[in-house]
Amino acid sequence: MNLLEINSITKRYGDYTVIDGFSLSIKNGELRCLLGPNGAGKTTCLDLISGRQPLSGGSIFLNGVDITSSNEHQIARRGIGRKFQIPAVFKELSVMDNLEVAYGKEKGPFYNMFDPGNSSRNKKIQEISELIGLQDRLNVISGVLSHGETQWLEIGMVLMQDPNLMLMDEPTAGMTEKETYKTSQIFNSLKGRHTLIVVEHDMSFVREIADTITVMHMGQLLAEGSISEIENNKKVRAVYLGTEGIH
Amino acid sequence: MAYITLFAILALVPIVFDDSFLLNQLSRYSVFAMLAVSVSLVWGIGGILSLGQGIAFGLAAYGMGMTMQMQFQDPITNPIPSFMLTNELEHLPLLWEPFWSTPLGLMLAWLVPVTFFVGFGAMMFQARVAGVFVSIMTLAMLAAWYSMAYDMQPFTAGFNGISPPLPFSIFGVDIDPYSPLAYWICIGFLGTLTILTKLLIHSKFGLIVQATRDDAERARFLGYNVAYYQVVVFAISGFIAACAGICWVMVVQYVSPTSLELSMSVSAVVWAAVGGRLSLMGAILGAFLVNGIQSYMGDELQQVWMIILGFIFIGVVLFLPKGLISIFEYIFSIFDSKIIKQSKNQTENEAL
Repeated sequence: MNLLEINSITKRYGDYTVIDGFSLSIKNGELRCLLGPNGAGKTTCLDLISGRQPLSGGSIFLNGVDITSSNEHQIARRGIGRKFQIPAVFKELSVMDNLEVAYGKEKGPFYNMFDPGNSSRNKKIQEISELIGLQDRLNVISGVLSHGETQWLEIGMVLMQDPNLMLMDEPTAGMTEKETYKTSQIFNSLKGRHTLIVVEHDMSFVREIADTITVMHMGQLLAEGSISEIENNKKVRAVYLGTEGIH
Repeated sequence: MAYITLFAILALVPIVFDDSFLLNQLSRYSVFAMLAVSVSLVWGIGGILSLGQGIAFGLAAYGMGMTMQMQFQDPITNPIPSFMLTNELEHLPLLWEPFWSTPLGLMLAWLVPVTFFVGFGAMMFQARVAGVFVSIMTLAMLAAWYSMAYDMQPFTAGFNGISPPLPFSIFGVDIDPYSPLAYWICIGFLGTLTILTKLLIHSKFGLIVQATRDDAERARFLGYNVAYYQVVVFAISGFIAACAGICWVMVVQYVSPTSLELSMSVSAVVWAAVGGRLSLMGAILGAFLVNGIQSYMGDELQQVWMIILGFIFIGVVLFLPKGLISIFEYIFSIFDSKIIKQSKNQTENEAL
């Protein structure tokens, strides 16, 4: 059984169709890159999966459970973690607190009033902060982090959630080359253990990490395949990559 | 620790000063401080700028006022409060019946406001009302309760309010509003509520509430039902405001629609903001200080008090966005860093 099964989902704003009968299935442990020109519907697609916007048609199954009409927090509890295109962290809280909020399977207010915390949580914070390279900055208020560090912190928060499926919207946006390289290392270390959908524009980054690539255009599936198949696909070159090929 | 010291000092006041007027004043300030703590929790920590804390305060005050009034009434010889007679009521209204019993009356004084806050909060936050719209809705709701208390003259004595002739009595003890006992009850409530709120803020629950304040969307995608958290915080703040309302009527022996007036709720926000809304200590400080200034300012200046308060508010917002408490925090931080430096020097010397 596939981890995520998207069956011809549609999203309309009035007469304007953003996503038009798009289908996708993701296997457990897969790292899938979602490509497409601006306005192709990539972020909207993630919004629909994570429940940020309601669907106009179609259905979404996670582990065989229909999550089509669930709320954001219900979907998150079923095991979908989301990183936003514009990094969203709790700016007035420290890095440590950000990671702590993301941790834990118990989400009810009354349970958390009396949650004493435990060693496995501290171990996890240690482990994740080392992975994202912020282990020395745990007590820093996250509002003062650089853009790259904020991106990593948000990736770390998604990891703290320990989700079955991670949706990563442009994880390297605004990063320097060196930072991008480090991010690709983080992603490669996640491969196999976690299932990811990554929306990305940076082709060198995609080349570093991707197994399978799905290309969207005008809200529809344009092509699917390995990196070389996509690079040599005429339709993809026409709409997205330009005739000069991939940079 | 600082909190325990503060409340210990406050608790000692009656032993040092034998001045019943001062005690009554301080009791009133501590009631205002409770209200400021409730604002600090809901606004500073929860990010919900509620202008309706007066709803819980006022409803609880009326509950307490009715309980005290009925303590005075006698079921056989004198079953109906006198203001009802002047309003030509021949039977005690059903609404008033439960207040024959003091425990039941007290329970209602707590339960009604908290239940109302749960329902009202659920309605607002489920619909994802946020920011300034919460302020507007709570304000409108406050105005509605005010007119209700004002207009239902036969039940609430309207503008005149209810003034129970006798002090509140419980377990056979009369609590004279000018006695140290009344003062200790107020300080006890303030202290207990503040320390419990402090513990709450430092629990994971408090952390999550602060997270929803910073970015509600992000918290939702981490699996938290943000509306649920907001309702719980709103209701807890309502509970604190209700405690304030109950203590208020205990020390002033009077309740009128002024407790549901806009200026009451807005003042509570100003106290919290002046003292420092992010800190409970700041909110308490703000309430004591602002009210202290107002009381001891002299009669001529009372007429322009709102203008003075306005200037204090603007000054603090412009120059001390974290409130007056930030001055103390700054002094303490210098002190702390000096101690650290000293101990550093010491260890270095020892190493040499």
